[in-house]
Amino acid sequence: MASPTATSAARLAACDCLTPFGDAAATHAALLRGERALQPSPVLGREGGDAVPLALLPGRALDETNPPAWLQSLATLLAPVAGPAWGTARRPVCVTSSNFGVGSLHALRCTGEAGHAAHGTPHGSVELVRRALGWGENVAIFSHACVSAHLGLVHASRLLEAGVAEEVLVVSYDFLSPFVAGGFHALKILNTDFPAPYQDRAAGSIGLGDGAGYAVLSRGRGDLSIEAHSLHNEMYHFTANKPDGAGFAAALAPLAAVAAGRRLWVKGHGTGTLEAGRLEATAVALAFPGAPLVGWKGSLGHTLGSCGIVELAIAAAALRSGRTPGTVGSASPTFTDAVALAPFDNTAFDGAVCASNAFGGAHAAFLLSHA
Amino acid sequence: MLERFIQAVRTDAPGAEEPAATRVRLKDRFAPGAVRRMTQLGLFVGAVLGELQPGEDDALVYATQFGEGRALEGYLDSFPSASPTLFQTSIHPSGAQQGLIGRQRCVREFFPLAGGNQLVATAVQAALLAHAERVLFCGGEERGTWLVPHAAASDRAFAFALALTRTPEAGALGRLALEPAADVAGALALPDWFELLHNRRPFAGAAAPGWRLELEWR
Repeated sequence: MASPTATSAARLAACDCLTPFGDAAATHAALLRGERALQPSPVLGREGGDAVPLALLPGRALDETNPPAWLQSLATLLAPVAGPAWGTARRPVCVTSSNFGVGSLHALRCTGEAGHAAHGTPHGSVELVRRALGWGENVAIFSHACVSAHLGLVHASRLLEAGVAEEVLVVSYDFLSPFVAGGFHALKILNTDFPAPYQDRAAGSIGLGDGAGYAVLSRGRGDLSIEAHSLHNEMYHFTANKPDGAGFAAALAPLAAVAAGRRLWVKGHGTGTLEAGRLEATAVALAFPGAPLVGWKGSLGHTLGSCGIVELAIAAAALRSGRTPGTVGSASPTFTDAVALAPFDNTAFDGAVCASNAFGGAHAAFLLSHA
Repeated sequence: MLERFIQAVRTDAPGAEEPAATRVRLKDRFAPGAVRRMTQLGLFVGAVLGELQPGEDDALVYATQFGEGRALEGYLDSFPSASPTLFQTSIHPSGAQQGLIGRQRCVREFFPLAGGNQLVATAVQAALLAHAERVLFCGGEERGTWLVPHAAASDRAFAFALALTRTPEAGALGRLALEPAADVAGALALPDWFELLHNRRPFAGAAAPGWRLELEWR
């Protein structure tokens, strides 16, 4: 059996997220109430197109501005952990995303305004954020589609484990644009019939959401701990998983071994594509028998490269409050009996497994528990 | 100090080669028919990485500042009828994934990094922190077209792949180390890193503020 990717526990000294509902506490409360942030929206913004389910920050247009309108929202989110030492060798920053500022390149192409280009590349987008927040230059940038945030957390854990960093700030942001909404719509997995049940569609369907989050990882500070990570990359197909579910099983097995004997609940990836949902639910039931499985993208939409950290912040809020939101936006029948549609009390549980998947058959998961 | 030993190095310096010529030059490195769907960067990286025979237990670290510049340009040009194929191939780590998917080679750990001046330092750091016995560190760029004047695509093409191990096994080609150094300032850009590898030149100096990189050849 594969060993976990990183085994030294890292404490969660601080963690929060930003969704259309607000911060982690507000998002957690909205999910407990069963609210859905996804709304039918034109896939190409002001250019129109089919209405698809998008969850945008209140008042934010899909089309990019110069400078990007999301920058102030991100700065507000990060204000509680602002400090002069982030970005130094001992307090590095990891920034993760699948989009970064790529919406600015779409704006450049549409408007011809050259000023958009400076924020369009990953390094250009992060430089904009770095300068705005006053970080130093020790900033690592990870981009692996929808498991990006997990890689930042793994890297941060390893920096702590090796003793080369005192604390690490992991930041992730993905703000939607016609670039990404148009791409997913081209793949025919955004539900133009929204809010009709996605189960009626042959392949299922997903919604997309704005999302950002951060986590400060520390060796000794924090009430929650990320005990172990696991990664697996199938390299089977760009947009499909191995039909036998081996990739899901390979990612979960090391965590199941670490957590043997403990009572856990599982926050799955759960985008809404039927085949991946079936494979994930089956693999979770085998790796963690009896563990309730929840997913929150039916409300928040898929926050892409940031989903791992957005959902970490919500899972942390759930562990602290003792209440886990159910699988908002889904309905019976579910793939397995373990899928929890309604909120539940988690005070008798020892922790949670949080899992994400990505293009290329990429899988990532970690074990979150009380320190 | 973080360090590993270099067991193998592969580089490709294709100059101004156009994608069609790259397909012809490298088609024998991939499964029949596969190159038609691959990007130029996917061909460059897939070829050098393929020579190192990636295995499931290897950790793979991939560094590119701009990624699939031409796929990105093509995807942007495809609006309002967005191309699903170009969307997929314009996604950041596709340059490394294309060859691995073609060969059906799963890997447990895959760390794709982006970035500007700090890219080499952070990618080397990720490689040296990996738990795997063997780490494959690869990267590269392809030349863009209309995004180049906007500094949003690379103006040159190159690819590299290194095999790194924890111990100096017999035949090690060199050593790669990264150590904290409070008084160090500066950066090592990805094209400069490539030139060091391609010409087997040693280096000892700043990789990032507070980090000194050593590259030695034997």
